[in-house]
Amino acid sequence: MAPIIQIQNVTKEFKVLNRREGLKGSLKDLFSRDYKIVRAVDHVSMSIEQGEIVGYLGPNGAGKSTTIKMMTGVLEPSSGEILVNGNVPYKNRAKNAQEIGVVFGQRTQLWWALPLVESLKLLKDIYQISDKDYDEMLSLYRSLVDIEELLHKPVRQMSLGQRTLSDILAAFLHNPKIVFLDEPTIGLDVSMKAKIRTLIHALNQKKKTTVILTTHDMGDVDALCQRIVIIDKGKMLYDNDIEHLKRFFGSYRTLKLRLSGSRDELVEQIQKEIPECSVSSDEEWISVLVDEEKAKVMDVLSRLQQHHKIRDMKLEEISTEDVIKKIYEEGTA
Amino acid sequence: MKRKGLRFYLRIYRKILAQDLKSKMSYRADFIISTVGMIFTNIAGFISFWILFRNFPSINGWNYYEILFLYGFSLISLTPVQCLFDNNWSLRMYVYSGDFIKYCFRPINLFFYFQSEVFDVKGLGQLAFGIGTLVFAWCKLGLGFSVLMLLKVIIFLITASLVMIALQNAAAASCFWIQNSFYILDFVTKFKDYARYPITIFSPVFRFIFTFLMPIAFIAYYPSLVILRPDAVPVLTWLSPLLGCGFFWLSYKLWMFGALKYSGTGS
Repeated sequence: MAPIIQIQNVTKEFKVLNRREGLKGSLKDLFSRDYKIVRAVDHVSMSIEQGEIVGYLGPNGAGKSTTIKMMTGVLEPSSGEILVNGNVPYKNRAKNAQEIGVVFGQRTQLWWALPLVESLKLLKDIYQISDKDYDEMLSLYRSLVDIEELLHKPVRQMSLGQRTLSDILAAFLHNPKIVFLDEPTIGLDVSMKAKIRTLIHALNQKKKTTVILTTHDMGDVDALCQRIVIIDKGKMLYDNDIEHLKRFFGSYRTLKLRLSGSRDELVEQIQKEIPECSVSSDEEWISVLVDEEKAKVMDVLSRLQQHHKIRDMKLEEISTEDVIKKIYEEGTA
Repeated sequence: MKRKGLRFYLRIYRKILAQDLKSKMSYRADFIISTVGMIFTNIAGFISFWILFRNFPSINGWNYYEILFLYGFSLISLTPVQCLFDNNWSLRMYVYSGDFIKYCFRPINLFFYFQSEVFDVKGLGQLAFGIGTLVFAWCKLGLGFSVLMLLKVIIFLITASLVMIALQNAAAASCFWIQNSFYILDFVTKFKDYARYPITIFSPVFRFIFTFLMPIAFIAYYPSLVILRPDAVPVLTWLSPLLGCGFFWLSYKLWMFGALKYSGTGS
């Protein structure tokens, strides 16, 4: 089966006026033709299969939104090719829209004054959903979340969490092949985040909907995505599954210790004793970053025990967040 | 996907309208106050008109009831733009904040989807007032009545509405290029007040402007000639239905062009 989304060598450039400083500069700008080209997306290629959940990550301003806008047909790429569900999105915006759903974290697309159920009914007409499909979808929703209290509440009276939940329900209503979720859990509390993750996961499983998820919350990534794509400054840095990502960066573990004695001296001392690890300290702990390919945590521990009295210790796995932070840093270096 | 024709859009509009009215009614105080406000605005407009004409029994050969006719005509023809295209006033805010993008993800016409979101009920009060004024002036002028005349009035009312809608669309669309487009929209809206006077009272320069540059003369003056001065109808009047459609089409194209260009910037 052909991939549902195919992006080949896509670049998007914006023309930005070079602004000068001060009032005099502003006056000059009025007549200026001094543009610079900003490349928001730079030769990005990827292909996504039906049913995947892909985490699309990158620091602010990396080009995530621009890529999504191109996939949804709002923007035309400067060069390269995009095929979504066999369509060129920009040329068939309306046709493409029929097969996709979009949720932008803090911007609701529902009718502000209407109760959710009326919004859903309007969407049913707009997307020409049959009664049978509509009822089926609604009973699926009922089985997944408690929507009864939401249905008759006007959107403007909802909390941010309820609104996001409603927006997600609305985006999946016409059973689209792809749903784009742009920071769906931004600003939500822990239990609402969990609820929304469960919902997205369940809908992906039941309906085989492809989900493209941008987020800064690694909890979302760990809970939902098998595969992640990382982009920074318009360039693609990484495209593979999460497990591979951790292996790719070595199997790091952090050994945290509390020893007796002055911390600063100890750090220097330990660094000398185990040169293959990097040692640092904070208020409470002395951290030893151990690369398991070079040294075993147990060995390090027993070597330390010969010279120091260990009062307390704990072992931490490297988190996805740390790994991604590392990629961002290396990507920008 | 089924083809989306006029019937599809009418159906969607009807449903959105019904929901919108329902939710508006739920703010009862707001609904009543804005209706009362609209009535007072119209009464005030009418009174200033009346005072003016107590001092000048006619302007440039146009008598009181003829001017009243123009006034009623312009009120009716301004109703559609007030009722159906009021969201144009908010366009600037949506564009500025970036929320405009939410209109781009539905499989229906962007312009339609945007405008369908708001129906301004206040326009209906204006419509009632306009019809009252027109009928009153019509009787006082002893114009008589025939089906043909009614048909002409209706056609020219539609024409006039299209012109006004076109002007507002174009003015609103300017926000896709200019940040402070409010002034343009406000400017155009203020100018429509001149539409209720016969353009012969203005100097040739303004006559030219109001006919070709800011075609507000098409909102009441040129169409009304058909009824009021049936012997001296200029060619321009007969062309006005075509021009109205043309203006509307152009403004729609401009609006859509701006919308598609706009979504190209920012996130």
